[in-house]
Amino acid sequence: MKALVIDDSRAMRVILGGMLKQLGFEVADAENGRVGLDRLRSMEQIDIVLVDWNMPEMNGYEFLVNMRAERKYDEVRIMMVTTETEMSQMQKALSSGANEYVMKPFTREVIQEKLEMLGVVVHQAA
Amino acid sequence: MSDQDDIVREFLTESYDNLDQLDRDLVSLEKDTRNKDCLARIFRTIHTIKGTCGFFGFGKLEALTHVGENLLSKLRDGVLFLTPTLTTALLAMVDAVRQLLDDIEKTGQEGARDNTSLQAKLTDLLNPDGDDAPAAIVAEPEPIHEYRERKPIGETLIEAGAVKAEDVQAALSLQAAGDPRHVGEILVEQHALNPQDLVQSLKAQQDAPTSQLSESNIRVDVGLLDKLMNLVGELVLARNQILQYTATQKDTNFLSTSQRLNLITTELQEGVMKTRMQPIGNIWSRFPRVVRDLATMCGKQVRIEMEGKETELDKTIIEAIKDPLTHVVRNSVDHGIEGADLRVSRGKPAEGCLRLRAFHEGGQVNIEITDDGGGIDPARIKKKALERGLITRDQAERMSDRECVQLIFLPGFSTAEKISNISGRGVGMDVVKTNIEKIGGAIDVQSQYGKGTTLKIKIPLTLAIIPALIVTSGGDRYAIPQVNLLELVRLAGDQVKGAIERIHGAPVYRLRGRLLPLVYLNKALNVESCVKATEEGTINIVVLQADDRQFGLVVDGINDTEEIVVKPLGKQLKGIPLFAGATIMGDGKVALILDVMGVAQMGGIISEIRDRGLGDLASRSQEIRSDRQSLLIFGIGRSLRMAIPLSLVARLEELPATSIEMADQREVVQYRGQIMPLIRLGGVLGVGDDGTPKELLQVVVYSEGGRSVGLVVDRILDIVETPSEMQRQGGRNGILGSTVIQQRVTDLLDVPGIIRTQEPEFFGSKI
Repeated sequence: MKALVIDDSRAMRVILGGMLKQLGFEVADAENGRVGLDRLRSMEQIDIVLVDWNMPEMNGYEFLVNMRAERKYDEVRIMMVTTETEMSQMQKALSSGANEYVMKPFTREVIQEKLEMLGVVVHQAA
Repeated sequence: MSDQDDIVREFLTESYDNLDQLDRDLVSLEKDTRNKDCLARIFRTIHTIKGTCGFFGFGKLEALTHVGENLLSKLRDGVLFLTPTLTTALLAMVDAVRQLLDDIEKTGQEGARDNTSLQAKLTDLLNPDGDDAPAAIVAEPEPIHEYRERKPIGETLIEAGAVKAEDVQAALSLQAAGDPRHVGEILVEQHALNPQDLVQSLKAQQDAPTSQLSESNIRVDVGLLDKLMNLVGELVLARNQILQYTATQKDTNFLSTSQRLNLITTELQEGVMKTRMQPIGNIWSRFPRVVRDLATMCGKQVRIEMEGKETELDKTIIEAIKDPLTHVVRNSVDHGIEGADLRVSRGKPAEGCLRLRAFHEGGQVNIEITDDGGGIDPARIKKKALERGLITRDQAERMSDRECVQLIFLPGFSTAEKISNISGRGVGMDVVKTNIEKIGGAIDVQSQYGKGTTLKIKIPLTLAIIPALIVTSGGDRYAIPQVNLLELVRLAGDQVKGAIERIHGAPVYRLRGRLLPLVYLNKALNVESCVKATEEGTINIVVLQADDRQFGLVVDGINDTEEIVVKPLGKQLKGIPLFAGATIMGDGKVALILDVMGVAQMGGIISEIRDRGLGDLASRSQEIRSDRQSLLIFGIGRSLRMAIPLSLVARLEELPATSIEMADQREVVQYRGQIMPLIRLGGVLGVGDDGTPKELLQVVVYSEGGRSVGLVVDRILDIVETPSEMQRQGGRNGILGSTVIQQRVTDLLDVPGIIRTQEPEFFGSKI
């Protein structure tokens, strides 16, 4: 399973990447939406993209719109990583093609649960 | 949980980096309040910290950044407008965030710091009430316009193989000739290009990544770089050893291999040194903030300008100059730049300007800090220095304005009349000077009273590997850092005899008419010279610069220049001022690196480091008290020492013996369009000359009433200042009396008397 983490904060990429690896993902990352699109296009297989909202150059919402414009990624799930501040705009993101969102701070369990709901991760009995 | 620790460290590094940028952004935002990029960056930094710290349970940090974020989002959305109050509050928030991060870094915990009042203040600012509120501006929704540098379409097309280069060239020249169509359009219309290819290339052009920078940089632990530097140092030493061995070998394979090793080592060394280089902008970046805070506190307006931010320096040097530079910058704002009212009354713009400039020159980095403030008042400096007993009244009177300004580097000097909480804390310019000198740098100040002050700092690029001259003395080798080296003088054969004279009991060498004090390295080191008959053999003088003095170091032999790796001295040798360090030579033996300043001090060339700026003045003033005069000391015959008041000397000339002509049975020369009679003092005084035939005559020119006469002497020895009291009056013809100068009996020449007897017409009808 392959995941792409897009966040301008190195610390966040490490945190999120670490959690996803524990869940058995191969993780690629990018520091903003524009680099994220490049990275995405260079990947042969991709199951889920986790994207931050506020980033320089191209923010998460713009990334979402760009990615959803390419039909071949229709099946790829997108999870918005957000803070309280951006919650007001979350509806906009969900109607533009985001599948799920998660609010910072989150735990690995929360991520796992959300991924299971999306069907990216198979539910494992504890 | 070490994973967690790593993540926290990552978080801290990232946050510190971002906060540095944020400081700069906030200050520039104050000037250009509509800079949306700046605001967005600031917001994002705080937002990121807030978003991340939740993962570690840093509640205080989260609470603080939360308020800050709210405030910033209102600014970003144009609901609030940036005011100085707001900026100050935001900067205070940034400081508090930094403190929290520092605590976390040190203890892993947030600590007991309480930020509630700051948070309350920030919250207050969130809801401006009524009249005090800065007028809210309506956010002008601006489309997000992303500027990208795009690759020209022609290039993209050629690369894709869709079009021939000539066709693109032709299309471009059409465009240049005024064709308004796009290159692609022209090409398609000329059937040079398939429209489908154009569409594809346009898309490719759009999608091409604009910058690879973020992916071509990685972070490296400083400890690792230090270790690499050390290893390269060792490699350089091993390389030197092999090169030395190579010199005795004939095997061509071995020779070419060692040549390659040599080249690669040099390149590697340069490469590793480069990794340790940092732009000086890294330390400058905090100055806008420093200047802003300080200016606000002093009620001044100060703009900071920077030039040469990208100038690179070794990391250790960057660290060493950080504090001195900050101090200088604070000083300029606090003492240098005047308050706005005063500035306006002096006809200057209300806003003062502080300029930082850095550039490479001659293997050194130059840093200049210039302000257009009030400059340094020499009179006030003098007064202060007198009050503090740093100089005597005599010295003060004799001091030029330029010398005066240098007094600020004296220990215990501070001119701030008001002791503010910014400066005047006892840390003065002397500490700045000491710190700069500790890393082999130099500092100088130039000031124009009323116009401004410039501080110039020169520092070496690196300290780890330096070029040095290798010399021998007493059978051992020593390294002299090349920065101190001026020239090498080698005296052999006939030149040796009488080359070294003694003045004041101290050996000197006459270098191009200048007296160069000498220090014998073997004497300074207290070792036996290996060269037994220095008098008959050769003399090697290494001319060195110590502070503002030059001196010659006499050594047994001069070997070569070499890149040496500076190793610190063991603690047994650390206290010896003569040595700056040690290095390992090509043959594996250790050589000590001479500290030129230390050698100069030991040889009595310069006095104590601390009052070097004043050394000259102080030593002179101890010799002299009241009415003193300057005397020119010269030698006649083999042993006669004579003096005349310098005030009687128009010039000192060296005239070739061939230029002497005879007129009316007297020796004359053509001098400045006149016929100047010569008086050979040796002959007149009946002592003869010193017996050596001379090609050049030393002539003391005496002028009066537009006419000149030349007094031929054998040697010009010195110029001294002495009390003008005479020890013994009268005596021989032409001699006013005798006095003791520099512990030797010296006759005072009666110049007018001599001229009267020799050239009766010189004083014309007066006689």
